[in-house]
Amino acid sequence: MDLLDKLNILSAAAKYDVSCSSSGSKRRNTPGGIGNAAVSGICHSWSDDGRCISLLKILFTNYCIYDCEYCVNRSSNDLPRAAFTPDEVVNLTVNFYRRNYIEGLFLSSAVIKSPDYTMELLLQTVRKLREEFKFNGYIHLKAIPGADYSLILAAGRYADRMSVNIELPSQKSLKLLAPQKEMNAIIEPMREIGTMIKNNKEEKNSKKKVLKFVPAGQSTQLIVGASPESDFHILKLSEGLYNKLSMKRVYYSAYVPVNNTPTLPAIKNPPLLREHRLYQADWLLRFYGFNAEELLDNKNPNFDADLDPKANWALNHLEVFPLEINTASYQQLLRIPGLGVKSARRIMSARKTGSIDYDDLKNFGTVLKRARYFITCKGKYYGGIPIREDLIKSRLINGKSETGEQLSLFQEPVGKETRSLAFLESGE
Amino acid sequence: MPLYYYLYDGSFPGLMTAIYQAYYYEHKPNYIISSNKYQPALFAEKVIIKTDMKKFDRVYQAVKKKISNRSLQKIYYAYLSELDDIEMKIYRYLRMGFTIGKKIDGHLSNKLVLKLNKIYNKVSGERHRLLGLLRFRKIAGDIYYAPFEPDHNVITLMAPHFAKRLVDQNWIIHDLKREKAVIYNQQEWVLTDLKKRLDQGRLTAEEIEYQELWRGFFDSVAIENRKNSRLQRQFMPERYWKYLIEKS
Repeated sequence: MDLLDKLNILSAAAKYDVSCSSSGSKRRNTPGGIGNAAVSGICHSWSDDGRCISLLKILFTNYCIYDCEYCVNRSSNDLPRAAFTPDEVVNLTVNFYRRNYIEGLFLSSAVIKSPDYTMELLLQTVRKLREEFKFNGYIHLKAIPGADYSLILAAGRYADRMSVNIELPSQKSLKLLAPQKEMNAIIEPMREIGTMIKNNKEEKNSKKKVLKFVPAGQSTQLIVGASPESDFHILKLSEGLYNKLSMKRVYYSAYVPVNNTPTLPAIKNPPLLREHRLYQADWLLRFYGFNAEELLDNKNPNFDADLDPKANWALNHLEVFPLEINTASYQQLLRIPGLGVKSARRIMSARKTGSIDYDDLKNFGTVLKRARYFITCKGKYYGGIPIREDLIKSRLINGKSETGEQLSLFQEPVGKETRSLAFLESGE
Repeated sequence: MPLYYYLYDGSFPGLMTAIYQAYYYEHKPNYIISSNKYQPALFAEKVIIKTDMKKFDRVYQAVKKKISNRSLQKIYYAYLSELDDIEMKIYRYLRMGFTIGKKIDGHLSNKLVLKLNKIYNKVSGERHRLLGLLRFRKIAGDIYYAPFEPDHNVITLMAPHFAKRLVDQNWIIHDLKREKAVIYNQQEWVLTDLKKRLDQGRLTAEEIEYQELWRGFFDSVAIENRKNSRLQRQFMPERYWKYLIEKS
């Protein structure tokens, strides 16, 4: 089989992994070496589905000993299989990098022969890249659950980010859909990697020269809609991962039906809106000071299709509003629907030179379509309607904005990374 | 009343010299314009500015000291935007800056500051986008060659990034619109004039193979069920496609 065929098979097999971030690592060029890593991350292209391409995202192989029902590479599927050699992956990475196609490599794999055998191949590949080729670009490497920790931790010396995918958000679903996998076998390596990252950071603070270990942190991915867990369940899980395992990112992947099996839901379109709502809520957890219980509870375990999570929260807490733009604290500003981190920062900095009125806000580029119902400027309210849940809700959902255009579901300004992950105009 | 046209040579030091003159000359400028863009106008009073590196340095240091490094960067990026009448915007912004000092960037509701911020964001946004979208092709002579046509004059803003990254390669970044190129020889980079496109008919066999591999990867990594070309165009405007291997 020639290299092009392999690449086609093994990149198609990796495409359901949504993470493509290349940020968070500052790797300098070494003497005689190739490349470096930009801390901001750089997108190099956008594929036909609108997702950013920043890394060469491939599986090492799609030969798999497991038979997980949700997975396209399950052993009982009849499809073309291939495996790279470490040299092939290294050459592709280096040559793509030299032409500025990519920021680096995202290397995952199905499990061939055994977890140890697979992890050993991944380790060989990244070691070769870093040591023989002195490659300093970004590397995101999967840890294979069940592999020996010594292999996983050795690989962490070469990677910028590592991830173990949880995929199914509960032990029960895992049992049903991936009977050969164990929740513990997934969580344990995460814990190990997490501890190493923490130790590495502390070591760096006390000593000058310390070998890096997964400097861009670890991430994981959850499939949404293949199993019956609620949004609340998923969000609680993410919150735990952020707080207890110091996870850097949790990615959500709308379930795309790739296999025909009776245990999986029959759906026509992937639940993209649900995925989008989870990303919005995830952002609220990480940057807006919310916790999962404020956004959802056992009585309302799923997000509203019509309202973004923050607007939904605000409507349930109208007693807090309206907030005065000139006196509200930064934390309070962040809770106003439609206001993002950027706008809140601008408001805080502009307040230093004078008080702000409604037109100033517009000039800053603040989107007021939703915020106007929740704020006052110098004591004046610009919402134009009484502050009542039903009235505001209907405006938020159906209302025309000031410019007369229809309110869009997806106007929440979101950070760089979700923008490339959220599929804004998808048919829901 | 005559209108005063300050004509400068189009360079950044030239523009700074013009701004220096404006402070000491009794007739303030109504327009500051590059002399090759100037078209004779009624009631125009021409003031020819001779670029003077000493005056340039005076203004440069004054901006740094009395306003801020950030403002210096902002006006330089604005200058590189090459937008119409950008010179007067920079002049007015600096006048305001010299009056109120480094506080200027907190005045977010001021139209002038706002406008300059927007232009700065445009230029630095294009720079960042092109750091990703630039494509090198390996041509005969072991040179990696990247042609492109940016909206703004960002080539010198991009060169340091690649000089730090593609250290052990010979490369050329070529702005075909402005006929300028940055050439790097594994030691340092220089900006030079360059008209002719260099890659036609000079691609190596290895190059053609990697281009094919890249196109293959690009096509197979997209998820069919999620096709969304509007989103794709939003991030990667069509005007850049001409030089993208995967899109041309």
